Amino acid sequence: MKIELKKFGTTLISRQNGREAFAAFQPQLTALGENENLELDFEGVITFSPSWGDEFLSPLSKKYDTRLILMNTSNLSVKATLELLEKINQMTFKIH
Amino acid sequence: MAEQELITISEAAEILGVSIDTLRRWDKSGKLSPIKASDAGYRLYSRSQLELFLHDPFVLAKDWVLKGTEIPSGSYCSNSAVFQTRLTRMQDLLSDVSELIDIFPLIVAVAGEIGNNSFDHNLGNWPDTPGIFFAYDINKRSIVLADRGLGILTTLKRVKPELNNDEKALKVAFTEILSGRAPESRGNGLKFVRKIVAENPISLLFQTGNAELTLVKDSDVLDIKHSAEPFRGCLALITF
Repeated sequence: MKIELKKFGTTLISRQNGREAFAAFQPQLTALGENENLELDFEGVITFSPSWGDEFLSPLSKKYDTRLILMNTSNLSVKATLELLEKINQMTFKIH
Repeated sequence: MAEQELITISEAAEILGVSIDTLRRWDKSGKLSPIKASDAGYRLYSRSQLELFLHDPFVLAKDWVLKGTEIPSGSYCSNSAVFQTRLTRMQDLLSDVSELIDIFPLIVAVAGEIGNNSFDHNLGNWPDTPGIFFAYDINKRSIVLADRGLGILTTLKRVKPELNNDEKALKVAFTEILSGRAPESRGNGLKFVRKIVAENPISLLFQTGNAELTLVKDSDVLDIKHSAEPFRGCLALITF
């Protein structure tokens, strides 16, 4: 399953908005197959920050581990945020 | 060109609403220096210089956190939704500046983390005025954020009760990754801010309580010192 993050907005910055996006996303996740990958596409996201990312990505990473795949992460704010989340959660994101 | 209107120190003090002694201190510290001295050696200011100073967002924000003076409605974000809207507007303006094309998302993310930190840690606990001051000048390459909240020490003490002064709290906020963050979620946003400044042409001045932190571009040196003008909330100046 592939999710375009820009559908949640192009400025993904606050903890509150991250939580809201995560809650809104839950019904979609029920359609994810047992062994299916969850692909998150950052294409079109302009600004991404750790507050939003921690609320949205951290729980997904814990739940899906290596089945969580991130795409189009070259934006500098996306890169920097992912690096910090990896350090906080002591894990490594799988990036395509 | 018309000659500049020169103003004495007592007139300048009246215009700015501060004492003559304060102006003398500001001259010594370099915060506001007279443009020249009279033949008798008295300090002389220009009206345009004072007007510029009065409308300097950093000065307005500092007066607001120190004294609760009025701030322009265009610089006040009463809640995080207003802040998000104005931050997105700033993002649009920054994206049009060709030399910032790669780093503008980082500038927006840094401002976003600092502003949202204020909202996240003071929600339901604002001592008086809720919300933040947020202003920017793209031409001068500066962004100012401030709040009249509880300050870093008080909010960080919830997760680290052993902290006992502002300087230590500031250091922890910018360096230590806090895990097991109950009873409140902390975004580790200020660590992110430090990382971005250390790796990019962005600088930061951050004050809270009686501590002042300076982070300069492309350097991970953390310069924390005692601030001469203590206040309760937070005040940040981002330059790029």
